[in-house]
Amino acid sequence: MALRWWWRCPPPPAPGAAVCHFTQRSSTFSFPKICNIFWRFHHTSMSHLCSCSKTASDEKYQDPFQLGRKDLKNLYEDIKKELLVSTVELKEMCDYYFDGKGKAFRPMIVVLMARACNIHHNNSREVQASQRSVAIIAEMIHTASLVHDDVIDDANSRRGKMTVNQIWGERKAVLAGDFILSAASLALARIGNTTIISVLTQVIEDLVRGEFLQLGSKENENERFAHYLEKTFKKTASLIANSCKAVSILGCPDPKVHEIAYQYGKNVGIAFQLIDDVLDFTSCADHLGKPAAADLKLGLATGPVLFACRQFPEMNAMIMRRFSKPGDVERARKYVLQSDGVQQTTYLAQRYCHEATREISKLRPSPEREALIQLTEMVLMRDK
Amino acid sequence: MWGSLLRRGARGAGCLRGVASGGPPWSQVVSEAEKIVGYPTSFMSLRCLLSDELSNIAMQVRKLVGTKHPLLDTARGFVYDSRNNLQMRGLVVLLISKAAGPSTAELSFQHNMVSGIYSSQRSLAEITELIHTAFLVHRGIVNIGELKSCDGPLKDMQFGNKMAVLSGDFLLANACTSLAQLQNTKVVELISSAIGDLVQGIYYENSKSSEENCLTDDIGISTWKEHVFLSHSALLAKSCQAAMELAKHSAEIQDMAFQYGKHMSMSHKLHSDLQPFVKESSSDTMAFSLNSAPAVLHQEFLGREAWIKQIREAQGKGNKMDYKKLQEAIKAGKGVTSAIDLCRCHGSRALAALERFPPSEARAALANIVYAVTRFP
Repeated sequence: MALRWWWRCPPPPAPGAAVCHFTQRSSTFSFPKICNIFWRFHHTSMSHLCSCSKTASDEKYQDPFQLGRKDLKNLYEDIKKELLVSTVELKEMCDYYFDGKGKAFRPMIVVLMARACNIHHNNSREVQASQRSVAIIAEMIHTASLVHDDVIDDANSRRGKMTVNQIWGERKAVLAGDFILSAASLALARIGNTTIISVLTQVIEDLVRGEFLQLGSKENENERFAHYLEKTFKKTASLIANSCKAVSILGCPDPKVHEIAYQYGKNVGIAFQLIDDVLDFTSCADHLGKPAAADLKLGLATGPVLFACRQFPEMNAMIMRRFSKPGDVERARKYVLQSDGVQQTTYLAQRYCHEATREISKLRPSPEREALIQLTEMVLMRDK
Repeated sequence: MWGSLLRRGARGAGCLRGVASGGPPWSQVVSEAEKIVGYPTSFMSLRCLLSDELSNIAMQVRKLVGTKHPLLDTARGFVYDSRNNLQMRGLVVLLISKAAGPSTAELSFQHNMVSGIYSSQRSLAEITELIHTAFLVHRGIVNIGELKSCDGPLKDMQFGNKMAVLSGDFLLANACTSLAQLQNTKVVELISSAIGDLVQGIYYENSKSSEENCLTDDIGISTWKEHVFLSHSALLAKSCQAAMELAKHSAEIQDMAFQYGKHMSMSHKLHSDLQPFVKESSSDTMAFSLNSAPAVLHQEFLGREAWIKQIREAQGKGNKMDYKKLQEAIKAGKGVTSAIDLCRCHGSRALAALERFPPSEARAALANIVYAVTRFP
């Protein structure tokens, strides 16, 4: 099955459109000065505010998918083969999201990273079977967590389809998630490497802890931001960071390379989620495949809200009561769009992407390395 | 064939006779066995209950008091019932570890042993309990779409579900982390596949219990055994096997441990399925599942048609099932006796597997567990 081209790149806006005065008060994550090249992405998310039309991808952006496509051919078929179940219905539920319509963002990063590390180590151009397994396992763990998240959030739609819980009910949906996780764990054991097992098991633990972090909220504004970034790391970036680390361990014995792979994955992962949080405000439901302003409705204060709160302190009370009063969601959304919360969050994502680029640039040059760099740009440009 | 075991087990037989009069022998079997493995098995609750995440959950679960969410019952059972069934799996893993002892291949690691059990095997016992408990919690998820007004506010049930998914996931994630720390890919593989089995077993269980009209699926006893193996035996069987792998015991010993875990838990399940039919005081009739072993066997002897007819008769007026009447019908047939035979057959196979282990206190305790679950008044 051919993998779908998974996001569209709008043409870059005119350079130097605006300069952002960014003052990030959270000291936990610090960055070097950002490079000029990233300024041109500034305001991109504003340029396609609720633009549901499909923008043609710019010729200049070569498809980095091309390099990994060979490795990801039959990705979903192979995942389905891992899901050995005897009952038709449970099988159908487990296969439901592996329909080839997902972005396959994680497996793509993982195989590109595997290739970049292999080339760095001994100029090998092959992806090892075990590295490809990591890509499969990463997508499976991700999907298992989506199925459970949808039960937790009582979500009705995802990727333009009804959720598993909506179709089959919560009891069965939770079991399907558990089954996908057990199959991922089985595939992980079969790689036969205890270090890889530990690295990827960390992801499972982080996903759950991230979900717990999402339950609580902090009173103090700075703590709140650090809390948000930590949650973002655990819920999204840990999976990418640790799968990148896993393939680097399989491909190259040098611990410095493992750290590069981890840092790249971590920074791209956080940027990816920051943009996701922006899109929740700037994109419309049809385009996202899930309802817009979903985070606010769940009572979650994401990046754009936390930045907006600095301009509109009256949002504090709403954040603390998790947007539970009638009208809170609409008012918060209006405040966010009036503020520079969206730009600030996008800008922060740019800084993470820049950091990811800086890390990956330490590897020996290769087309795969360039693709990983390009991928950071696409994380910022995506509109769904 | 099991002469030596029977003689050793005879010490416990005195208390086994207590089934009919007074307290069940189970708690005594368990508490004696706990002494053999060094310290009580309720350690899992301690470490997990002390974590931030679970105390957070505990705080939240308090909000559910007064609602009808099943998570509340699971939590209650976790606190009050922990001396009984909940820790049984961990205890068996510890006992079989001790019964097998150190393998000749692993003599160099003997200093890692406490009360004759490796620390990795103790972790495994804990992991087994964590997984079992995680699924007790995940079994208690409710389908929001099927709620009726008598179930109380929708919001409470959604909240209960949220807590149940999260706390189950938390226990599972902890199990995965401990599992990874065992540094043994074969063990990770065994336990992962056991989780998969458990999920499939619970899935079958669910699809049956949702049958509101009380008409059961047309399954025979062999299908019943397959399903019960998945939902009640696979985890313990594979954990017992994994415990042998951790001590580097031979494939043969691993298989015997698997067989013990499998057959002992099959007879345990048959034993509990039989309780409504063998209890001497028939003053109050326990409701029983139409998919319990005696009912399934009864149907096999009687034929599907006649069984459906009996159910319809018991349903009679107002669609309220007259369990008393149905129970009498089953008791009149051969279902109960053949379920008892099946229970004893699995018990014998569990004891036969134990023959491969050298005689010891731990082996006797494992045998006593079998006696406790194969004894009927």
